[in-house]
Amino acid sequence: MIPSLTREDLKIIGYNLRNAFYITGVFLLVPIVVAAVYREFNTVPYFLIGSALAFIIGNLLSFFLRTEKEMEVKHAIVMVALAWLIAPLLASIPIWLANATASYLDAGFEAISGFTGTGLTVATGIDYMSHSINFLRHFLQFVGDGVGILVISLSILGRTEMSSVLAFKGESKDVGIRPSVVRTSRIIIGIAVTFLIIGTVLFTIAGIREGLDPGTAVFDGLNHSMTGYATGGFSTHSQNLLYYHSILFEVVAVILMIIGALNFNLHYAVLGGKRKEILKNIEVKVLLFWLLATGLIVSANLLNTNVYSSVEALFRKGVFHAISAQTTTGFQTVYPSHFALVWPALSIFVLSIAMIVGGSANSTSGGIKMLRVGVLFKSFKREVKRLLLPRSAVVTGSFHHIEDTPLTDKVVAGAALVAISYIVFFSIGTMITAAHGYSLEDSMFETSSALGNVGLSCGITSPAMPATLKVTYMFLMWAGRLEIIAVLVLMGFVILGLRRGIKK
Amino acid sequence: MNWKVCFLLVLLLMLAMPLASAESGRELIENSSGYDGKTVSFRGEVIGVMIRDDFAWVNLLDNEGYAIGIWCPAENAKAILFIGDYSHVGDSVQVAGTFHMACAEHGGDLDIHAENFIIVATGQEVDRPTNLPIAALGVALMAVAILMTFYLRRIRKEKQKILPWPSY
Amino acid sequence: MGLRKFSLRAFLKKNFDFITGILSEVGLTAAIMVVAFAICVLLVFIMR
Repeated sequence: MIPSLTREDLKIIGYNLRNAFYITGVFLLVPIVVAAVYREFNTVPYFLIGSALAFIIGNLLSFFLRTEKEMEVKHAIVMVALAWLIAPLLASIPIWLANATASYLDAGFEAISGFTGTGLTVATGIDYMSHSINFLRHFLQFVGDGVGILVISLSILGRTEMSSVLAFKGESKDVGIRPSVVRTSRIIIGIAVTFLIIGTVLFTIAGIREGLDPGTAVFDGLNHSMTGYATGGFSTHSQNLLYYHSILFEVVAVILMIIGALNFNLHYAVLGGKRKEILKNIEVKVLLFWLLATGLIVSANLLNTNVYSSVEALFRKGVFHAISAQTTTGFQTVYPSHFALVWPALSIFVLSIAMIVGGSANSTSGGIKMLRVGVLFKSFKREVKRLLLPRSAVVTGSFHHIEDTPLTDKVVAGAALVAISYIVFFSIGTMITAAHGYSLEDSMFETSSALGNVGLSCGITSPAMPATLKVTYMFLMWAGRLEIIAVLVLMGFVILGLRRGIKK
Repeated sequence: MNWKVCFLLVLLLMLAMPLASAESGRELIENSSGYDGKTVSFRGEVIGVMIRDDFAWVNLLDNEGYAIGIWCPAENAKAILFIGDYSHVGDSVQVAGTFHMACAEHGGDLDIHAENFIIVATGQEVDRPTNLPIAALGVALMAVAILMTFYLRRIRKEKQKILPWPSY
Repeated sequence: MGLRKFSLRAFLKKNFDFITGILSEVGLTAAIMVVAFAICVLLVFIMR
């Protein structure tokens, strides 16, 4: 019997959420530095307001809901689910105040798209946007998705190891790389910063080589490095990466996209000396397979239908978008309407699947994740084997992910549950989109882009999108980032509270 | 006879010039196949300039928010004074040239290879004044947040001295 | 003084591991791009 909700439950959740507010308050101040550099002093108040509100609410929670009780698993999961709504809500304030979007709902959409590392944009006039607000959009992707700031802050500021561990679990990262959660968080930040620096340097060099002035090259470099590693996909210009008309830029982007799609554990192992892990790891193998398979099918299809006919075009459009989709980044060098009107249906379908399948677990990518896909694939093999062998034979299996792990039924069930949840949400999202009048393939494409936190758009996402569809995609982006289960737990929690009321 | 020749020449020149009405960005992008390989004209504000040896990319943004990359000789790009961004309105440029839906020379990018490149209007700097009420609100809220933090911390410290943790 | 026993060997090894690690990862992405490019070349060769 599930115990009823008590006031204490709500207090525990509310009290621990204070950290989410505090951390959001801090990172909303960072763009002020950018505003100062570019002398955009009129934008400073926007960040002050957002940040101040975050601190004020955090303080109120801290004072009025103070409790000594420990968090349990259910609290941690609900808290993380809510935190992933709170941070974008607060971040939407500066975006809205700066008139970067047409409405407050759009600002919320943009903020959630940023924080979840999706990259679908409804911002208007991106080319005229202030550097500070534009930076905020990219920074949101870096801290929200690249670093997973909420979990990290919760684990650093969380009072005990237990509550930290639970917060980590809520966000579906396994208690990780090292036994200590604080240590793990620091490592995640370290890895992110490392690749951020490398990416910025590479993009800056590429930018200068391709004719940008140094200042722009650095600014664009930093921002694209943030969204590239975070596999987010926001860009500083309305044309996304097409603005640069540069294979050099696209190559650097691919480097960051693939690296961002690799597991944190893998990074830690490889950067710590275990280079062989790259070749042994199941997720790398699966990712390689999917990237090349998707790239092959899409390129062949594009060539066959005469959309592109040169090797360079196939690589820069076919392979590039296959990688952008699979890693769930969303960098795009093709106009959205071209996906809808010019690209053949097979490619759109294959890209949709790639987006739902996603990148590695414990990486900045979204989707069902390679690890689960690999596990499910292996379990299919095992099942077929089992049926081909005599009844008395015992079939086991294992997979290599940093260490060799047995393929237990529990592992397979866990993977299957998440995969099915994604497919169900994908179907519902596609139906809702189609109900608004869009074609089935476009609906599938855009839905998988939102759910997989990708960001490739075939034109459905725009400021003119119906409000109900905007809300739907905001929900999908949020659910996708939390791998759906956490959202279901939150729903269960709310239903439980409504059904049985809240006991003292 | 001379003025007749002149008149004919002017007429021929006018016919050879690109269509007076520029195609909109939306038209070009959404009906690309209809314009592929044809001469089009496009007008927009400069939002990006990248000079690459003898040629350059100039990204133009039209008034509906559609941006297209223009491939033109470097001299044209070098003549641009303002690039549009937060603090500038970019030069307004009218181009005429061959439209490519998926340019073979440029790896499949959609672009226009300019034959005619005219800077129609120069850009300018844009002033972004601070909104005083919002600024005041920002400072005020921040002050509230900071004061609150200190005040609450003080209350907690005092309560700690008097009682053990109160149970709410 | 409070200085930990500093091992130059360990320091160099750590940095060496780090840098070669980064290179391996970038190398992996480069390898993927090369293979993908080769696929494109093959496709154009076969289908044209």
